Amino acid sequence: MEYKIKKVSAPNRDEVELLGATFEEGNPEGEDAGRWRQKLDTRMEKLKYLENGERYWYGKDWFGSEKRKTPA
Amino acid sequence: MAEEEKKKKSVDQATVEMIEKASSDGCSIVFERAETLKPCPIGAVGSCCSNCAMGPCRVPLPKGREETPEEKAKRRGICGATAETIAARNFVRMIASGAAAHGDHGRKVAEVFLAAAKGEAPGYQVKDEQKLLQLALELGISIADRSNEEIAVDIGELAQQEFGRQEGELLFLRRAPLKRQELWRKLGVAPRGVDREVVETMHRTHMGVDQDYKNLLHQGVRTALSDGWGGSMIATELQDILFGTPSPVFSQINLGVLKEDQVNLLIHGHEPQLAEMIAVVAQDPEMVKYAKSKGSNGINLVGMCCTANEILMRHGIPIGGNFLQQELAIVTGAVEAIVVDVQCIMQGLVEVARCYHTKVITTDDKARIQGATHITFDEYNAIESAKSIIRAAIDNFTNRTKSIRIPQYKTGLIAGFSHETINYLLGGLFRASYRPLNDNIINGRIRGVAGVVGCNNVRVTHDDGHLAMVRELIKNDVLVLQTGCSAMASAKAGLMVPEAAVQYAGEGLASVCEAVGIPPVLHMGACIDNSRILIAATAMVKDGGLGDDISDLPAAGAAPEWMSEKAISIGQYFVASGVFTVFGVTWPTLGSKEVTDHLFRDMEDMYGGMWAFEPDPVKAAHMMIEHIDKKRKALGIDKARERVLYDMAMRRELE
Ligand code: SF4
Repeated sequence: MEYKIKKVSAPNRDEVELLGATFEEGNPEGEDAGRWRQKLDTRMEKLKYLENGERYWYGKDWFGSEKRKTPA
Repeated sequence: MAEEEKKKKSVDQATVEMIEKASSDGCSIVFERAETLKPCPIGAVGSCCSNCAMGPCRVPLPKGREETPEEKAKRRGICGATAETIAARNFVRMIASGAAAHGDHGRKVAEVFLAAAKGEAPGYQVKDEQKLLQLALELGISIADRSNEEIAVDIGELAQQEFGRQEGELLFLRRAPLKRQELWRKLGVAPRGVDREVVETMHRTHMGVDQDYKNLLHQGVRTALSDGWGGSMIATELQDILFGTPSPVFSQINLGVLKEDQVNLLIHGHEPQLAEMIAVVAQDPEMVKYAKSKGSNGINLVGMCCTANEILMRHGIPIGGNFLQQELAIVTGAVEAIVVDVQCIMQGLVEVARCYHTKVITTDDKARIQGATHITFDEYNAIESAKSIIRAAIDNFTNRTKSIRIPQYKTGLIAGFSHETINYLLGGLFRASYRPLNDNIINGRIRGVAGVVGCNNVRVTHDDGHLAMVRELIKNDVLVLQTGCSAMASAKAGLMVPEAAVQYAGEGLASVCEAVGIPPVLHMGACIDNSRILIAATAMVKDGGLGDDISDLPAAGAAPEWMSEKAISIGQYFVASGVFTVFGVTWPTLGSKEVTDHLFRDMEDMYGGMWAFEPDPVKAAHMMIEHIDKKRKALGIDKARERVLYDMAMRRELE
């Protein structure tokens, strides 16, 4: 991957090199492009993801805006 | 046809071109029929009752003036039913019909799901284990070291019971924000079972039963909720398990996706179990070889209407067009077969097909059309059924007769933004989250969120309402979530690619879209997937910072070109979930001021969301923005608060 580096001057400092945005090369193609759920392989990983990523419903310690003592 | 008049029919060039071709081929299509057959002004506003054989009774409002109290007293049917009762009965019957359509779709999916889990439906299997586990957790089904199939059997049985449930409340209501659940219970609108609410609505609207318009509308709410948080949600979730939860996929849309040198097989309708199997079998080398033996270069599978959204999101199969383009696809002269299942299929297809060589193939025993070829799609023998359907299409390739003209319009789009995918895209694999969305709403880069959904309606310019509204919303930094034919209108106009953010969105929304890499208009699926919007809204609430109910969110909904009864059911479940919802084209209760006021005003006090009607899509967008701003103000986030980074000097000053 080619890095884009530009030089910028920061206040009270010498010129510094700034690393620009990096993108994976090429356009994602084919039926699998954009598919992310396959990244989770085992059942354990999937359950962990649900508890963390979908914590609004399946997390044990998530209350968000709905912290309350009595369930609905 | 005058240039001006053609434009009025559609803003989509492919559509305009095919309307012209139909006219020169002497073929009657919906756009032409709409010119000669005008809507009945009494029925359109809900003032005609045909619920018994003493009628139909028509009770129209006087034209162009307020009615006198004497006139109002006389506005009754033979049985004495008031204009309020008549309008409310008609309205809730629309809800019942829409909810029944979605519910029956859900039931069929549950049936196939259960059969697949038991190994009785070869070709179908659990494709998304994660969604399976998600539902198991939610429904309290043991996971342990049971196989996916064992878990799926339990889920399928529980899902089926939801339709016939007689008491208690639907299981998915538990997904809603806690405050919303409590409100539904307090108001007595928590639905008991999917079928029960529809049946009760039909009973209560029978001659001489419920004759209190508020009581009727109350049951309408309960029925609509049994659709959004019941039938529709069950369908979406089980489809995700069987066919995969949608994730971003690139494809193309509009009639230009048809191919002159291939067998064009159009699949139109709603239930993905048919389309999925056709999509798989159409790639079978044996089928491709058979297509080539007839002189074609292969099989080109193209979607139409909601079923198109399903196979687009999961396979990237291109879309031919939305509701009003179904006949026009045939008019190209290049379609060998249009294969249909249920819902939104115009009977006019058969007449249009007679002008060309196209075969209309019905596949569902509950939806036959006179003059069409019927090949039953048997889910228990799905692969063979799909093969017979595809073979029938291939056999028709050699029958092409009239001149073929495929309009050269097609646009790229990215679809597949399920709730799960939005959550992942915003937060990443290790901390999937709606936080970045909520933060950007709070800091004002995104003003709010709008769901723009629904059909096309030939009484207004095709696609114009959707596009005018969506463009106005994103220009004003409102992130737009879309489903159904509405999503297709935006996709055709190039609004569903990330680049559209720079071109059409306001600066704030564009900056967020660029950072996340998403379009300013997100395709969330078919109409049944409006349940995904409910879940996305709930996730926003649960993440925190934007109130504790859906009605607190800076959000609004719309269906600017609605036409089906399903749209009314969808609108009503959005309203009852706390969303301000504006419809265009026409409004079916205008015949009664009381009924309309109850829907447009009283419901806001009851549910925090209410209906509105505005045929001008830009004005409607402004109503939505106004509502969003009202909610921002109530949350105390009406002024953008830029974060200030304090340097040492500023800190010292503070001390
Ligand atoms: S139910 Fe009443 S209003 Fe309706 S058609 Fe019969 S008599 Fe007329």
